[in-house]
Amino acid sequence: MANPTPEALEAEFDMFMARAGITVPPDRRPAMLTGFAELRAQAAMLRDASRTAAAEPSNVFRLSPLDLEKK
Amino acid sequence: MAERIEDLSVAELGRRFRGGTLTSEALTRHLLSRIEEWDPKFHAFITVTKERALADAGRADQELKAGKDRGGFHGIPYALKDIYDTKGVRTTCQSKLRIDHIPDADSVVAEKLHEAGGVLLGKLTTMEFANGGPDFSLPFPPARNPWNADHLTSGSSSGSGAAVAARFTRVAMGSDTAGSIRGPACFCGTVGLKPTYGRVSRRGVFPLAYTLDHCGPLATTVEDAALALQAIAGFDPQDPASADLPVPDFRADLSKGVAGLRIGVPRHFYADSPALQPEIGAAIDKAVQDLREAGATVEDVTLQDYSLFFACGRVIQEAETGAIHEADLRSRPQDYGQQTIQRFVLGSTLSAVDLVQALRVRRELTRNVNDTLMRYDALITACALITAPTFDEFKGLAWTASQSMPFNVTGHPAMVVPLGFGARNMPLGLQIVGRPFDEPMVLRIGRALETLSGWDKVPPPV
Repeated sequence: MANPTPEALEAEFDMFMARAGITVPPDRRPAMLTGFAELRAQAAMLRDASRTAAAEPSNVFRLSPLDLEKK
Repeated sequence: MAERIEDLSVAELGRRFRGGTLTSEALTRHLLSRIEEWDPKFHAFITVTKERALADAGRADQELKAGKDRGGFHGIPYALKDIYDTKGVRTTCQSKLRIDHIPDADSVVAEKLHEAGGVLLGKLTTMEFANGGPDFSLPFPPARNPWNADHLTSGSSSGSGAAVAARFTRVAMGSDTAGSIRGPACFCGTVGLKPTYGRVSRRGVFPLAYTLDHCGPLATTVEDAALALQAIAGFDPQDPASADLPVPDFRADLSKGVAGLRIGVPRHFYADSPALQPEIGAAIDKAVQDLREAGATVEDVTLQDYSLFFACGRVIQEAETGAIHEADLRSRPQDYGQQTIQRFVLGSTLSAVDLVQALRVRRELTRNVNDTLMRYDALITACALITAPTFDEFKGLAWTASQSMPFNVTGHPAMVVPLGFGARNMPLGLQIVGRPFDEPMVLRIGRALETLSGWDKVPPPV
């Protein structure tokens, strides 16, 4: 995912806020934009082209001690 | 130094109650006096429940006299983070949005502690909705660190860390979504135990992120934490993530030592981080040496990259938090604190695909930690990479300064134990990570480290 320009990042953020119906307090906007850029980059880290369709999530997150015993 | 009853362990208090040399009421009155004297400086409490505490203590004493003994927590004072519902007692989440909320039922943890004979001292401050760092725009002042009140406690279980460090109570309940039990434990020099996901019911505790939230104790010692966990652990059919498993005796292995154990160290998590204060790395190296000399095999291990754990947890957390607060963010944005709203809106920038990708990665990461724990009894690693900064030094959300998130993503039990002091004589600690539902091993290694480091002999700050 290419890094957007600051202007494009702001436009993207504004679109998400408008879609969510959230009014952004002006004094919080710079910190929100910083957080948005970080989170956007972190979401991109989770996309690995080597992961196949078989890499399924656990739909219900539940740990079991048997996870270790089955091995 | 003359003996002080606030310095007696939970187990020793119980022995004195049963031996007739101390009553729960006398202890409770003493702790309420300490809170009255010191809390104006540390701001640990939002609400002190004096009348309830004295009633609980009186009940505990009368029951023991009558031969009714509820076990290891009978007559023991405790306090709850103010996101735990308490019937008839205001539960604010440190937020204007819930400033007048009086629950009509107890959270499961509150109910269990009451049934175990505990004495509720009050409700402890938190960051708003258990989020982020200190914020002076919230209804109540942020907690201050009893080791030096100019410094932070970390969060979000900020009042819990301050209350235990100040010896207002031996046990306080916190919650941990990305490190909110373990961070305050590191900064305040307490034990902080995040049990396995599913071990303790979350019902009646206001959620921050459903699949990352854990309830657990902060405590003065590892044994105190074990006794608290004993009181709150167990299956809850009304918590969709609760595990239907037997509850072991969490104190049974405390004195077994570490001889013969195999312990892994994912040093790559923290050693190369620019945020790491050298004395924290040195303290972990010393702990490794101590464990080896005590008979454990300690080896470096390699897990997936820390940044992947963190990114995975962050996406899940922001998405789940955004869903919980979606309606209020639209209708009452002005009622959130400054730091809270700037964080909570971010979930709305994520797509459904982002969340599914995170859940796929989460499964891989959980398997990665499980595979490593097939070869080791436990892991030890850094938690906070820094000692507590001052309020003036705090700049926004210190994302990079704590490495607690990986075990919220995977759900493994993780506990912080203090090891000593670092920069400016503020406490430092490390975390021990165990196999799913193997809290007894985590506690066993924690007890050994507590003894080997000499922390159990360190005098409290006040």
